[in-house]
Amino acid sequence: MALTGLDIYKQLPKKNCKECGVPTCLAFAMALASGKAALDACPYVTEAAREALNSASAPPIKAVKFGKDSVLGDETVLFRHDKTFYHPTTLLIHVSDTLSDDELRVKLQEIKNLEFERVGLHYSIDGVAVVNDSGDARRFAQVAAEMAESTDKSLVLLSEDPQAVKAALVQLVSRKPLIGAATAANYEAMVNLAKENSVPVIIRAEGLDALNDLVEKAQALGYKEFVLDPGSRTPVETLANLTHLRRLAIKKKFRPFGYPVIAFTGKSEPLEEIMEASIYVAKYASAVVLKTSSQAHLLPLMTLRQNIYTDPQKPIQVEPSLHSVGNVNENSPLYITTNFSLTYYSVEGEVETSKIPSYILPIDTDGTSVLTAYAAGKFEPEKITEAMLACGIADKVKHRTVIIPGYVAVISGKLAVLSGWKVVVGPRESSGIVSFSKTLSLS
Amino acid sequence: MLIIGERINGMFTDIGDALRNKDPKPLQYWAVKQEEGGAHYLDVNSGPAIPTEERVAAYEWMVKVIQEVSELPLVLDSTNYNAIEAGLKVCKRPAIINSCPVEQVKIERVFPMAIQYNAGLIGLTMDKQGIPKDAENRVAFAMELVAAADEYGLQMEDLFIDPLILPVNVAQEHAPEVLESLRQVKMLANPAPRTVLGLSNVSQKAQDRSLINRTFLAMAISSGLDAAIMNANDDELVDVAATCQILLNRSIYADSYLKVFRAR
Repeated sequence: MALTGLDIYKQLPKKNCKECGVPTCLAFAMALASGKAALDACPYVTEAAREALNSASAPPIKAVKFGKDSVLGDETVLFRHDKTFYHPTTLLIHVSDTLSDDELRVKLQEIKNLEFERVGLHYSIDGVAVVNDSGDARRFAQVAAEMAESTDKSLVLLSEDPQAVKAALVQLVSRKPLIGAATAANYEAMVNLAKENSVPVIIRAEGLDALNDLVEKAQALGYKEFVLDPGSRTPVETLANLTHLRRLAIKKKFRPFGYPVIAFTGKSEPLEEIMEASIYVAKYASAVVLKTSSQAHLLPLMTLRQNIYTDPQKPIQVEPSLHSVGNVNENSPLYITTNFSLTYYSVEGEVETSKIPSYILPIDTDGTSVLTAYAAGKFEPEKITEAMLACGIADKVKHRTVIIPGYVAVISGKLAVLSGWKVVVGPRESSGIVSFSKTLSLS
Repeated sequence: MLIIGERINGMFTDIGDALRNKDPKPLQYWAVKQEEGGAHYLDVNSGPAIPTEERVAAYEWMVKVIQEVSELPLVLDSTNYNAIEAGLKVCKRPAIINSCPVEQVKIERVFPMAIQYNAGLIGLTMDKQGIPKDAENRVAFAMELVAAADEYGLQMEDLFIDPLILPVNVAQEHAPEVLESLRQVKMLANPAPRTVLGLSNVSQKAQDRSLINRTFLAMAISSGLDAAIMNANDDELVDVAATCQILLNRSIYADSYLKVFRAR
């Protein structure tokens, strides 16, 4: 976002000396805001002001990358309907180094199982967070190494002890893990460790004021690859913190909070934990660390993440392949519609209600509705004929009748000629399908 | 889009007489009627009907009698800041001060007063020399008002910049400059100051006033206008304000949107 005249004016010396060639600092600020002047024309602007003006034109939340393709931050809105959320929440499974080797094997297998195919999409877990609960640096490094060995996913290394993190990190630098947490007690060692190894680091403090202080101190060490943790571990506090952090970063361009945020669940009962994590996915957490790793718990959370991070401006599409409703057989009718999800599911719902097992073939219209697609030349007899051939419906049914939406009755003749099928014009609205289907004769 | 009803003004004969006779009825009649028309605020202006030395008492009286019949917040419209202050003291809801030009003495008097009484403030993009012709100078004045708001701690949303529209029949070249000013004012600060116009000015002594008013209103709203001091009982004009809310995606569309806008 461009700087406003007021933002710039506040950083100027207010001497009104005219040395920049403009009568007042106020007028100079406006000239800068409209791009008619350069800041260098003012000999009195301080280094701090220059820095403030430069960073004010940076994106509100920094993008922080780590591990295997994990991108945190780089968001611009508070509500997805205003634009979209860009980077889906990174989901990480908590792995404690107090687990025995046997328990570790079980955990690892569970993590490997967190891959899902659903409605034509692939969901997967993003990584593991190895936590140094044992207090033993050697064990921590050992478990971290084992995790790195057995999975290629992103890694987070968590310990209060910089020496422990260092020991674990040395062997894994090439995996670019996220490390942490830098706290008031250890931030110098932890941030310098991150800086030396070019890995991002979690900055943790209790509450927003303390976090603000700590981020500024950490920035003073000359490093800016941060992920914030406001320290809260209850849903109500974390929700408030996540909201404040996102709001201050975007609305007020508050630079110390211009970093992605990581959330840790506090609930230990898995169903409660998933509800808690759902809040954080919906409300601005860039990463969430979870204790549960069972498929039943993670699938709904990953589905929610998928839904929240879809682009509301783009129409949602269904796969343009032959769908079946109920136990279809060789006598099942064939309905044609478009692959716009609203259109498709309206048809599917009514076909389901008709209780007649049926095939539905959504034509790929780039996710547009019947009339929109027709007007744009994306729902024409040639294309429908092609799709009917490609899906192999002719081998699945013994009749040769296809039902088209009532609003495109005009294409029925040409479609009949091209496809060789009998074309029946269905009702204009899908709500008419139930009564229509009762009178339908396929012979 | 805030509609500020313009009708309680001593320039109108019935209000002028009412002020001279201390008769609250015409003021109360117009307060209720403008609210029914769709007004969100009521402008209160004694005009020249009252001698200068009586204005302080007059504003206190006007505010009191209007508040007897209406819950709407008020816009206190006068160049006499003592009169405005007397009115502010008896306002039950946060009011708006109308207005302050870019003159240091006035800024020093009015901005602290706005803060003290938790009032909004209409700032005019003009100084002692008068109204600038082009957008650039209007915006430069607006920037001075924005800087003053920042200095005195007035919330940017409480500052209403008025880029001053003039009658189209005698100052035609001003209208496009005002539209451009509305656009640029929105970029001066974040959050941006709000904007307001004395809409009816655009059609003073012109033909088809209502048509000119509502056409310019639509153009101005689309350029960034947030509020207008206007005829709240011109139904077609209020319909335009309501329709703009829909077309700018500020209110969720419903078939009954005209009704919803008035019902609030």
